[in-house]
Amino acid sequence: MEGSRQPGTPPAVGHTYVPIPIRMSIEDFLYYEAGVLDDQAYEAWLELFTEDMRYEVPVRVTRERNAEWDVSPTARIIHDSKDMLRVRISRLKTEYAWAEDPPSRTRHFLSNVQVLPGENDGEYQVRYNLLIYRSRGELPRYDLLSGKRRDVLRETPDGWRIASREVILDQSVLAVHNLSFFL
Amino acid sequence: MQPTNATGVPDFLERMRETLPEGRVPAKIFNDPNVYALERERVFSRAWAFLAHESEIPHPGDYVLRWITDNSVIVIRDEHGQIHAHLNRCTHRGNQVCKAEMGNASHFRCSYHGWTFKNTGELMGVPYYREVYKESLNRSEWGLRAVRVETYAGLVFGTLDPDAETLQEYLGGFQFYLDFFLKPGPGGTEVYGPPERWIADADWKICAENFGGDGYHTPVTHQFGFHLGFYPSSGTTHFMGYAVHMPGRGHTIGIGHTPGLPPFSGFPQEVVDGMHATLSPEQIAVFKDARMAVGTVFPNLSFLTQPFSLTPKQTGVKFCTMRLWHPRGPGQIEMFSWCLVPKDAPQSVKDELYRVYNLAFGPAGTFEQDDFENWTNLSRQNGGSTAADFDLAYFQGLDWEPLQDFPGPGHAFTPYVTEIGFRNLWGTWLNYMLTPVGQQVDRSRVPPAFHPVDAKGQP
Repeated sequence: MEGSRQPGTPPAVGHTYVPIPIRMSIEDFLYYEAGVLDDQAYEAWLELFTEDMRYEVPVRVTRERNAEWDVSPTARIIHDSKDMLRVRISRLKTEYAWAEDPPSRTRHFLSNVQVLPGENDGEYQVRYNLLIYRSRGELPRYDLLSGKRRDVLRETPDGWRIASREVILDQSVLAVHNLSFFL
Repeated sequence: MQPTNATGVPDFLERMRETLPEGRVPAKIFNDPNVYALERERVFSRAWAFLAHESEIPHPGDYVLRWITDNSVIVIRDEHGQIHAHLNRCTHRGNQVCKAEMGNASHFRCSYHGWTFKNTGELMGVPYYREVYKESLNRSEWGLRAVRVETYAGLVFGTLDPDAETLQEYLGGFQFYLDFFLKPGPGGTEVYGPPERWIADADWKICAENFGGDGYHTPVTHQFGFHLGFYPSSGTTHFMGYAVHMPGRGHTIGIGHTPGLPPFSGFPQEVVDGMHATLSPEQIAVFKDARMAVGTVFPNLSFLTQPFSLTPKQTGVKFCTMRLWHPRGPGQIEMFSWCLVPKDAPQSVKDELYRVYNLAFGPAGTFEQDDFENWTNLSRQNGGSTAADFDLAYFQGLDWEPLQDFPGPGHAFTPYVTEIGFRNLWGTWLNYMLTPVGQQVDRSRVPPAFHPVDAKGQP
């Protein structure tokens, strides 16, 4: 991914038409996927990614308006392959994932979904807003993270699968003590 | 939480001077508004504070914004390549003159009344200068307030104390150990990218202590790594190695050894060659068999080199992380976490090292997640009303003898897992805390970190 200044890259107005049933089917999939994640069904969640998937959360930086980029072209908070995602999930299944035991309670809210044709046949780019609420323990405080996802979804015999996911968070200094949950 | 003013030295700090040499530390030091206020007044006003890595500002005009406690500091390279640090505060009304966390600027123009400062800090422009000030404003007196800056091996430090000893003196021989992290070849290190930053309700001190060589926590906090098969050491050899500290200065390092590993294992060949070219025979003797090393420069800068891999049961590669535990307020920290890579290494090696670092450290790192779970819970518990009278157990190694033939400076002990360096760290901190501003911090007053028993059994 190249670093970019997010406000400067809106999708073209009047972009190529994606048929409504496809769009609805993609939205259904994304809502289903968010539910699987919030239900902490991590093995089932992992199955929703293609084998060649990539999952990236770049570092956001506060820059002047005319700067070349404010999403770092090199620095990442997460830069995972499917094998690495598998490591995170097998970690959560051990008795030693202290950060998530007792587990955090998360809620993923998705909105402003835009579906665009992908670069390959059977693939679609999906851009949408993300709001994640996280409650932990008995504390009255909670974490709230907003950002946007840029996914590539691929049509497979088993249904939609996520071929890539990029999560661009809005805070440059994250108000969370850790990211032990998935974005 | 809002910072508060120091209202005096809490009783538990006075008591700590007596209890620390006995291996007891008041829990309250790890979360107390008054302790934070005193740290701001007496520690961070006088110590050398880490600001930036030179590679973050490689070109003339490049800058980053950093902190010394609650003071925003612009760290900038001028047109001649010299590095300056200025308080980010216009000298007219105090407005913030720089608002981006990194960038390039020949000058800063205040958005309030337009006073303009060169990147060297000089006041160069004042609107209506002749009409409003006549002859009364001497521009040379009203530049941005300079923060004294010195560097070591690519690290830029600043101090608010104009009378502070030099950085070389302050590091006091710890450079011998820092070189392991900072001199992987003739070109030194560079940051892979901007730091990951996040905020947690944790006291900076517990983090600085942990990275001062807390090998004791690893097999428990990070047991998942052993469990999934990530480590070249096992629980039975993990404690082996050396713990070294610089007496009276607080700097401390743990060096873990695993028997049977080849010299400099886990480093790319370029780095092994680079280390042989840059490190002294004594440094090579200390580090060639190191599985990992983790150390803290007093007060709040740490380094860790350890092996890790993207999937379990692989031969790990050794990455290096540098982290600043910035005290943001009482019981609150802002984290800056960087990955340092060897400047001379091929890009593919740098990419691989960063990727491995990324899986382990940063807010989503599989190690860091669990550390912050512990550190936030610990800080919350130690903010409780009973914490002032509650002593924590810091007994490990109280009567150990330092090694006589260790090739490096400072006091060295074996094995690696011990709390001797932490008593020196908190003794150094306490000495700052108990020395009022205006008085010289006398390092000979740092309480002893160990007191070996002599042949007659007398301490």
